[in-house]
Amino acid sequence: MKGIYTPVTQIRRRVFEEIARLAFEGGDYHRIEELPYRIIPGEVANYRDSVFKERAIVGERLRLACGLDVSTADEHVPVSSGVTEAAIGEMVYRPPLINVIPFACEACPTEQFYVTDNCRGCLAHPCVSVCPVQAVSLRKGRSVIDREKCIRCGRCRDVCPYQAIVRFERPCAASCGVDAIESDYLGRARINQEKCVACGQCLIHCPFAAIADKSQIFQLVHALCGGEKIIAEIAPSFVGQFGPFASPGRVKSALKKLGFSEVYEVAVGADLGALAEAEHYAHGLDDTHAQMLTSCCPSWSVTVKKFFPELAPCISTELTPMVATARLIKKEHPDARCVFIGPCAAKKLEALRRSVRSDVDFVITYEELMGIFAAKEIEFSECGDLPDSDEATAGGRGYGTAGGVAGAIEAVLREKYPEKEVRIDRAEGLRDCRKLLALTRAGRRKGYILEGMACPGGCVGGAGTLEPIAKAASAVKKFAEKSREPNALGSPFAEENRKRKSGRAE
Amino acid sequence: MKKLTVEVCVCTSCMLEGAMHIAEAAESLKKLRTHLRMTLQPDIVLSSGIEKNRHPEQAPLVRINGELMKCAHSEEVMEKILELSTKKKSGK
Repeated sequence: MKGIYTPVTQIRRRVFEEIARLAFEGGDYHRIEELPYRIIPGEVANYRDSVFKERAIVGERLRLACGLDVSTADEHVPVSSGVTEAAIGEMVYRPPLINVIPFACEACPTEQFYVTDNCRGCLAHPCVSVCPVQAVSLRKGRSVIDREKCIRCGRCRDVCPYQAIVRFERPCAASCGVDAIESDYLGRARINQEKCVACGQCLIHCPFAAIADKSQIFQLVHALCGGEKIIAEIAPSFVGQFGPFASPGRVKSALKKLGFSEVYEVAVGADLGALAEAEHYAHGLDDTHAQMLTSCCPSWSVTVKKFFPELAPCISTELTPMVATARLIKKEHPDARCVFIGPCAAKKLEALRRSVRSDVDFVITYEELMGIFAAKEIEFSECGDLPDSDEATAGGRGYGTAGGVAGAIEAVLREKYPEKEVRIDRAEGLRDCRKLLALTRAGRRKGYILEGMACPGGCVGGAGTLEPIAKAASAVKKFAEKSREPNALGSPFAEENRKRKSGRAE
Repeated sequence: MKKLTVEVCVCTSCMLEGAMHIAEAAESLKKLRTHLRMTLQPDIVLSSGIEKNRHPEQAPLVRINGELMKCAHSEEVMEKILELSTKKKSGK
């Protein structure tokens, strides 16, 4: 459903806008209790059996948007509980980041094969012949699958001449590349947090809006209203996300109107990463580091650590673009707080890591930011179009699309080490990432740069984006092509970074 | 082929409420022109000036041949475009 505006999208975005407005207006936060009635007006249920249930679910989403924990139907937790305490300019949320709202889940059946009305009960009935466990039989003129016997191999579906047999899978489970979606005692989805890598794909694929992540918009707006010096770092995939009037210069201008004192492109940190990783690839591969795995996608690197721990040493140890840019910001503005604005749910967890906590103060997504813009009534058409600062190169700006990270590293290698043979493989979407990692574990990707992106299409397909993947990818590429410098070797921050590193080594 | 002007407001509120999806839905009809026997070509105009005042309660706004649609949905917009298109045809 990515890229299609549905009532699920509408509810999610209205929640962000209302929470941001609540924070801007301040006052008595018990009025959050009224918000479900604004978001779900009227007396008649729209999509579920009861309007009360619809509002209760929105209430949980509002609480998650404030960074609070989700509650279950067997406990009395008013929507406003804990909201006043959360109304501070500090990060308040704790893991788990991605949450199933239990009573919003429709308990869809787990993976099954169904015989549909397309079945003609044909003379051939190859579905019966190919089943290895005799789970398919012909009864009263049509095929029937015995669910107790079925091993879900899909052979019957593959051979049916009428396409009468279909595979059904829960949308949340189908979208999860690490099989972290399980069931609770009522058959509702439950996230196994041991497996979850917080890519957020389940939350955009649940058609009943039963899954949501925690947000920091409530706290960020309080920090912005508090008059502190706050600097935004915006990920390379931001281009094209906010509509036809939101040129990159206008997005930066709009952020300043919102109260950010400066805006940095994360592409700056991406450039530094590409340079370092090119050096590592050129000189750092050995028997224990037989290939180099990129590190910028947190869900990919956590997948490696959780499911392929023997490959963990091969993950690049360079700072992710988010952290590299944040450190640059904190070095230039030691008194400032830093907000990462990106497409990604998993970055919210990355920012909670002990080694990153002091660098990145808040993480919000584009969708959440759009809610803040709407609440503050900021129009891009009324914002000045700031000129390109040329602080980032085409390489760094291309990080937001699949292939962009490896491409940026390769561009550096081609220019600096033209004689070096560069071998690249990449995967997007966690299922394909795991296949690539399995090949790597089997020793079939030695000497490669391996780029993994948890989201289809790369960061432009992240859970917190606003625009369809293909359209967003095209906008990112066009913006990158306009950059003054073609690759990270032209980064104005490269020399300074090199000196700092060599000074530290001495 | 004559044009049917479809203006889609892309102010911040309308964007948040799915204006771009509506624009894409209207645009997609061009590919189905023959199937749908359309006599008018939708001309999609992204605008920030349909309504000068802020209109979060009415977002997204769409104007088709001068007729304003408030809180528009993609399915209603496509229906309206087709309705106007077939009207022209039957009037001939």
